Amino acid sequence: MSEFVELNFGPQHPSTHGVLRLKAKLDGEIIRELEPVIGYLHRDAEKLCELTFYADNLILFDRMDYVGSMLMESGYLEAAEKILSIDPPERAQWIRVVMNELSRIAAHLVWAGAFGLDLGMLTPFFYCFAERDKILDIFTEICGTRQETNYMSIGGVYQDITPEIMDHILEFTETFPKRLEEIYKLFVKNDVFISRNKGIGVLDRETAIDYGVTGPMLRASGVNYDVRKAKPYLVYDKVNFEVPVSYKGDNLARFLVRFEELRQSVKIVREAVKKIPDGPHFNPKAKKPMMIRLRGDGEYYARTESAKGEFGVYIVGDGGVKPYRVRVRSPTFKNLSVLPVLAKDQMIADMVAISGTLDLVFGEIDR
Amino acid sequence: MKEQLGESVSAVNGKDGIMVHTVAKERLFEFMKEMKEKGFDSLSLITGVDRKDYLEVVYHLHNFATDEYVEVKTTTDNGVVPSLVSLWSSARWDEREEYDLMGIKFEGHENLKRIFLPENWVGHPLRKDYNLKNIQYINMDKDGEDYATFDPGDGW
Amino acid sequence: MSLYSRLVGLFSPLGNLPSEALSYIAESLIMIIIATLGLAFMIYLFRKFMARLQLRIGPNRVGKFGLLQVVADGLKLAGKESIFPKGRDDLPYRVAPLIGMVGLILAFAVLPYGSLFWVGTVTIFDASGTSVSVILLFAIIAIMPIGEVLAGISSRNKYALLGSLRSIAKDVSFEVPMMISVLAVVMMASARTAYPLSINSIVTTEILPYGILEPLGIFVFMVSMVARASYTPFDMGESDSELITGYSTEYSGMRFAMFYMGLFGSILLGSFMVSLFYLGGFNGPLDSSLGVVWLVIKALILVLISFTIWLSMPRIRIDKFVNLGWKYLLPLSMINLILSGILTLGMGW
Repeated sequence: MSEFVELNFGPQHPSTHGVLRLKAKLDGEIIRELEPVIGYLHRDAEKLCELTFYADNLILFDRMDYVGSMLMESGYLEAAEKILSIDPPERAQWIRVVMNELSRIAAHLVWAGAFGLDLGMLTPFFYCFAERDKILDIFTEICGTRQETNYMSIGGVYQDITPEIMDHILEFTETFPKRLEEIYKLFVKNDVFISRNKGIGVLDRETAIDYGVTGPMLRASGVNYDVRKAKPYLVYDKVNFEVPVSYKGDNLARFLVRFEELRQSVKIVREAVKKIPDGPHFNPKAKKPMMIRLRGDGEYYARTESAKGEFGVYIVGDGGVKPYRVRVRSPTFKNLSVLPVLAKDQMIADMVAISGTLDLVFGEIDR
Repeated sequence: MKEQLGESVSAVNGKDGIMVHTVAKERLFEFMKEMKEKGFDSLSLITGVDRKDYLEVVYHLHNFATDEYVEVKTTTDNGVVPSLVSLWSSARWDEREEYDLMGIKFEGHENLKRIFLPENWVGHPLRKDYNLKNIQYINMDKDGEDYATFDPGDGW
Repeated sequence: MSLYSRLVGLFSPLGNLPSEALSYIAESLIMIIIATLGLAFMIYLFRKFMARLQLRIGPNRVGKFGLLQVVADGLKLAGKESIFPKGRDDLPYRVAPLIGMVGLILAFAVLPYGSLFWVGTVTIFDASGTSVSVILLFAIIAIMPIGEVLAGISSRNKYALLGSLRSIAKDVSFEVPMMISVLAVVMMASARTAYPLSINSIVTTEILPYGILEPLGIFVFMVSMVARASYTPFDMGESDSELITGYSTEYSGMRFAMFYMGLFGSILLGSFMVSLFYLGGFNGPLDSSLGVVWLVIKALILVLISFTIWLSMPRIRIDKFVNLGWKYLLPLSMINLILSGILTLGMGW
């Protein structure tokens, strides 16, 4: 008979990416049982959505995955615009694709920096954030805010994109790949990094699907599934990119898949910026004073590929100006639920590394 | 297809073009088992919708091999539906969430407790009759567990 | 002439015995002040170096170039309340940070620093006091982990306990290879000097630095010094992303500052030791009156190398480190011992 040490990680802990709390039962250094406790950032966005107008709900989605807020906005609008029967014009769709991918780059960079910190690497964090700041500068130029952008709106985007901003974005796509390779080398050319990640936290295909894991984590486990390819929304069917897949399923695979996604996203941005057509950036049917009086009916389930995985928004309308029920499929919520399986019988250090590869953002898990 | 699935009704009625199967809750588990055998290997989402006089539970199923997406709907008057944890592990947290916020009891779930809110929270926030005026405060007891209280002096 | 004899000369009007006593005290005070200033400068250097490496500016507000930042931080920490955890073991909890600090300053006192212009040789115990200063030095630095262990056990915190457990596992696995590689140095020095256990005489025999003769030895010793100071590749004991700060989790205020300074002090001490044992210490191409300068230059280069390692490496896992210590460092240090034995005999050193 053995006695376990009960250790409480978090909610205030350097490596919990916010307010994750983990109750661990330790056998020496080895974790025998792990129970995540969440809800410390819970504000019930789904209920708040029912209380406000369709157009106003956008800011609630900004604050879900706050490091990739554009992705959240476009995910919500995918569903809301269908419910309200308002289509964004072509130009707005292209701008949304550009913003989505820039946001994805920013989100993955935050992840890469934080993952380095989890493993004890101090320097890559600053390299990643310096690059991310350039994206946030572009966001500031385009809508005035750095993180919670609130840039898109029902019927298009809030402000038109100017040629100067397009130049800045193109300039970023020129300089960024070089810096990205530097950051990449900083990680993978390090033997200790490889030894901390190779073969650690192996998530096999069946478990991943069973637990509803999506996004880069699922692709690292050998499932070639990306909503952008499988069920293209916006104009993702008109841009050229590839979906990286790994069959190893370990920490290193998740790391490599995310870095390859960064490269693909740069490619998409570069292509999409050049392809933005002329025309209105906003559907006049959704003019500002009218916006809150739009009535939605029916149900719609929209799936989009956020930085963390498959972000689904299920809206039930009852013909009123406010949604009847909004349900969010949070990818990180599902990805976190697999952590007890991955961390079982692993060492504390490995558990921290594994939870680093899950890319946790608590605004989205707790909603 | 209809004979095989019993009394279920299948139709496309949303704007998203997703096939919706409506099943009675008594037949839900068998139906889901059949669906899983048909290749729907992922339970993507569980949603509870409060229709005022009854609760509607919507399951989104995903088949990764054929990239098929379907909805399964069931209704319940007393807020009890069978749990699907034995079929899909992803139901474990989703059912806890729907129990927490919507108050749907999933029969057969081995650990059906609240996931976001403290255990003694009064009411289920996503219910339409939930009283928003009744403010509850959260505090932590000596063992580090959260609890909810109506006393503003106790909480923070 | 040495610093000690100069001080004796200075105090000589007071009589024989008082002047000797006073000059010991004065020399110790000078050493403590220099060590403290050295530590403060190290912390400043680290922050500036780290900032440059990470595309930042670093401290630049307090004083010119932020030079007084460390002083300001020290004052802030001194003014902070020390929070005492409930259920602590009181005496060990209070004593633990002091043990590390005392060990550190004592270790600095044992080292020979060579000579500096008119001051003469800067040494406290070695040349004047003892001929077994190698043993004394390693005895002193073996005290320092006791502070970590006591801190971890006494603060009644699971993170601190795990941290000190890891510290013990780490210390046990690198101390043996470290001692064996020093043994090789002592053995080589024994061919040239009558006092091979005195650091001072070891360094004076180093016309060709031992690091060149024993490349394996310097590698093992350097790795051990990184582990001794416990910074990033080997900082399992205080790994901030896993155990918050390990054994110092429950410390605050000045007691925490002591652990923090102990970390930097250990880096400086390790750099001095590597340069003394393996890089020729205070020997330099020019006249021996510049000994301190050579030693400091060598140590500073090693310090910057340590910082680069610290800032760019991820943390190794504890079981892998124990493996490294017993399966790689120990055999390597043994091979090194045998090779340097052959070298000592065969080349008639």
